[in-house]
Amino acid sequence: MPVVDVDPDALRGLTGHTEKTDEEFKTDLFGLGLEFEGETDDGELQFEFAPDRLDRLSVEGVARSLRYHYGDDRGVYVPETNDAEWTIEVEESVPDERPYVTGAVVRGVDLDESALESLIQLQEKLHATMGRGRAKGAIGIHDLAMVKGAPLREGAERSITYRGVDPDGETFVPLDSNDELTPAEVLEEHDTGRTYADIVTGYDRYPAIYDELGLFSFPPVINGKRTEVDTESRELLVELTGTDQWTIDKMCTIVCYALSARGATIEAVEVAYADGATHPAEYGPDLVRPNLEVDEKSVSHDRIETLLGVEFDPEDVVDCLERSGLDASYTLGEATTYEVEIPPYRVDVLHPLDLVDDVGRAYGFDELEPRYPDAGTVGGRHERTRLEDAVRTSLVGLGFEDLLNFHMTSREENYDRMRIEPGTGGTAVASDDGSGDGPGVFGGGDPVEITEPYSEEYTQLRTWALPSLLLLLEGNTHNAYPQDVAEIGFVAERDERENTNVAESRHVAGAVARRDASYEAVKGRLQAVCDDFGAELETPRTEHPTFIDGRTARVVVDGESVGVIGEVHPAVLVEHDLEVPVAVFEFDLDALR
Amino acid sequence: MRLPERQLAVLEAASATDERTIDAVAAETGLKPETVTGAAFDLRDEGLLAVSETTTEVAELTDEGRDYVDDGLPETRLYRAAADVGAADGAVPMGEAIGSADLAGPEVDIALANLPRKGFGRIDSGELAVDPDADPDADPESAALEALADGEGVDDVAVLDRLASRGLVDLAERTTRTVRLTDAGVDALMEGVEAAETVSQVTPELLASGEWADVEFAEYNVEADAPAVEGGRKHVLRRTADRVKDVLVGMGFREMEGPHADSDFWINDCLFMPQDHPARTHWDRFALDVDPMDDIPPALLERVESAHRDGWGEDGDGYHSPWSEAFAREVALRGHTTSLSMRYLSGYAGAELEPPQRYFSVEKVYRNDTLDPTHLLEFFQIEGWVMAEDLSVRDLMGTFEEFYRQFGITDIRFKPHYNPYTEPSFELFGDHPETGEEIEIGNSGIFREEVTGPLGVNCDVMAWGLALERLAMLTTGAEDIRDLHGTLADIDFLRNAEVSY
Repeated sequence: MPVVDVDPDALRGLTGHTEKTDEEFKTDLFGLGLEFEGETDDGELQFEFAPDRLDRLSVEGVARSLRYHYGDDRGVYVPETNDAEWTIEVEESVPDERPYVTGAVVRGVDLDESALESLIQLQEKLHATMGRGRAKGAIGIHDLAMVKGAPLREGAERSITYRGVDPDGETFVPLDSNDELTPAEVLEEHDTGRTYADIVTGYDRYPAIYDELGLFSFPPVINGKRTEVDTESRELLVELTGTDQWTIDKMCTIVCYALSARGATIEAVEVAYADGATHPAEYGPDLVRPNLEVDEKSVSHDRIETLLGVEFDPEDVVDCLERSGLDASYTLGEATTYEVEIPPYRVDVLHPLDLVDDVGRAYGFDELEPRYPDAGTVGGRHERTRLEDAVRTSLVGLGFEDLLNFHMTSREENYDRMRIEPGTGGTAVASDDGSGDGPGVFGGGDPVEITEPYSEEYTQLRTWALPSLLLLLEGNTHNAYPQDVAEIGFVAERDERENTNVAESRHVAGAVARRDASYEAVKGRLQAVCDDFGAELETPRTEHPTFIDGRTARVVVDGESVGVIGEVHPAVLVEHDLEVPVAVFEFDLDALR
Repeated sequence: MRLPERQLAVLEAASATDERTIDAVAAETGLKPETVTGAAFDLRDEGLLAVSETTTEVAELTDEGRDYVDDGLPETRLYRAAADVGAADGAVPMGEAIGSADLAGPEVDIALANLPRKGFGRIDSGELAVDPDADPDADPESAALEALADGEGVDDVAVLDRLASRGLVDLAERTTRTVRLTDAGVDALMEGVEAAETVSQVTPELLASGEWADVEFAEYNVEADAPAVEGGRKHVLRRTADRVKDVLVGMGFREMEGPHADSDFWINDCLFMPQDHPARTHWDRFALDVDPMDDIPPALLERVESAHRDGWGEDGDGYHSPWSEAFAREVALRGHTTSLSMRYLSGYAGAELEPPQRYFSVEKVYRNDTLDPTHLLEFFQIEGWVMAEDLSVRDLMGTFEEFYRQFGITDIRFKPHYNPYTEPSFELFGDHPETGEEIEIGNSGIFREEVTGPLGVNCDVMAWGLALERLAMLTTGAEDIRDLHGTLADIDFLRNAEVSY
């Protein structure tokens, strides 16, 4: 969940509540869903919150929410915007992968260290959330005084250009460097460049923003040093590029609201997509940005009442909405409906239902009286888990300790240490095995492997349960014997006949580890389980690399080969550091149905 | 009169005139002292024997004390060595005296602390002078050690306490029991007492012959520990799962069932999770190296895609995120069992469902999290939902209050929250029964219309989920989830975990 760092003095200033203590702010913000997490080294308060209200990723947005919460502000607020002087020209050459751009000009900025830090934080947090690590949207903020923009078309007063460039073409001096580098060199030689290189390395042409002096921004990687913002900057150019126009417009809006809250004036820019350039279908090729348009949705009085379980006076609903920073109007009638206006910094209102949530929060969910729903239904367990449970009860009665092991394992555990090979058993050979000798090597099914596993210990699903049992015995050699353990657990193997291409089943596995463990001892227990379920057990002799020859058999239940039983081969025991004999069985749970 | 053999032996060994100790009786009868004690108490209960107890303090030498009996106390050795190098005539450097005393390690400090205390000499500015008139042979501490070593008693309590504080003797209380015949005991012996036959085991023969009526059964020490018996037991986490299932079935919920490996469509897309949501990236999910899922109902797929792209309903916006059918068809290990809820709600898992319905599952989910005391890569998720007309937040609160009340959690709090798939959403908090700390115990909400609409559900569905391990920790007070689950489990832990019900 996102964390926002808040300078409490800035918060006092921005909310106008200079009398509030840090503790009071913590309590008030908890009420808004921002949980105090701790303090930074510089004494800023850190709050964690759910990633819906991304307009709260800076102290300015947090202060705005608090002012609504305190009742200082009501209804929708949209800052004034001055007419555009600057145009962002979008050339046909922009990379296909990153076609969209937006921006704004901000004047009359007065940034002290704290405000500048807050702006940088907001930028980084927006990158991490909506911007999906800059891949979907990235923000560049520049000192406008350093940008030189000759007009590039009629009517435009000043222009910059978004275009695609040869990675090894022109050079510029990026932030935190003194060297003239090409974009390709930035990706190799600059720390920030290496961090974000993955986003653009597949592009034929790299995104670049030019003014009349040349390249000054290499989005989404790094800005040029020439236009670097500091506390002396008074006018800013904000540009955003990305893969979705709506997303970068919203990110831009949130930045503009934050700067406006610091007293700056927002000035529009025009975005002009060239004829051959991809432009956002829903907006057309010529945009005026930032997009501070108010959205509208309608929600019915009835839906609010049924969803919250409370009867409302319409004026109370309007009050709740206004206290949430929304505006609403309604006409009374059979089906009273509210027309609700939503300010542009809100990115979380996708459906009228989201407005009901705002009403609920403003009304106070704590005020709601819980009630048990009056809807009669009949409960019951699934047949599969009932069977599993009944077999488990039998095993426990026979003295087995019930286990619960992980389903993910490694090839080494599942096959190598058991002396078997993948693809030698299970469904892989059952279908075309004409020998009548059952489904090959039990446990030797094709593995379902994890794509790009993160740990060598968990690379696939287990095809059988015995490796888990032996692993557990291996980890318990310091404990007293006998150790009789059993598990009814999930196993899986590749099977293209399944819709998921994975055959999933449950196996019943038991191991007897003790000085006198023998084939006979474990068969007696298996026989008892089969008897419990009225299943007929046969154990025709077989060979299996995990077991001692002459002391292993197939488990055939009601005529079907469903498992294996035997004394574990000394090589497998030694491999698992075991110094006692172990006899085991494993079979498919479905055999007992 | 008939008495068991051992009681008779004790009775005969006792005297009417002298107190005899248990040990003396044991020596005479050849019985173990504890057997004699048991028999004596039985005889006392019969009124045949008087048992008295006296408590005495006994001092025993420690190993260190025993060493000093052989070598002499360190201060004595230092005194003698110092005297030998002339310290009786005037101060000598301390190092010289210590060196010739052959003291080992801590003995130096012991000697230096005790020598002045006993008035054997003085230490001043690193020099040592001893008193030529002192007589270490007359030292009461040495004498007491010698006496204890010879098995003699020491009456001087102050000296014993001093030796105890020096760690040279252990003081302990010992209870000595003595027995004496009562008048009734004397009478009984005069009249003659016979030994009853004792047998150790009830046998089929004994029962069949009727001889059992004439025998005494040998007594056991019924308080002694018996050899451990290891029965099998159901896994501690399974028992918690059983309890959860019982509660939910009792509340009218039916159990769901479905695949662990499923398409992203059922796991995430149906749930209105945007395809570029961080939880759907490579780093959070376990993608499987198998072919994509072919069979997804086409109409459903289309509706779900449309909800993502354009929203659901007139004022719905949808996400501004990419959506690809190929991604939807990819197969992965489920990150939550909500995939089962989607299969059931859509009717794909069986019949089309008409409200009202309640369903649940307690099944495994897979998340690529960092392993720590509260997170595993695989864990059990409790998932439940209620489908009905016009469900409200109040119904949700009432249902969960009832559920958690069954586990003794009576003060749950609902904190408004955000999930991509529910609105309104609430995190549920309760107090840990042991620590009193507030902890998250679940996540809940009412499914968005972007979820229910495409599934063809035209009423409200409220749902919640929580980790079973979390609940088990709450109800058992366990503090590390890894104790509960996995191949690294300690079999002793499983055998000794307290049974919950």
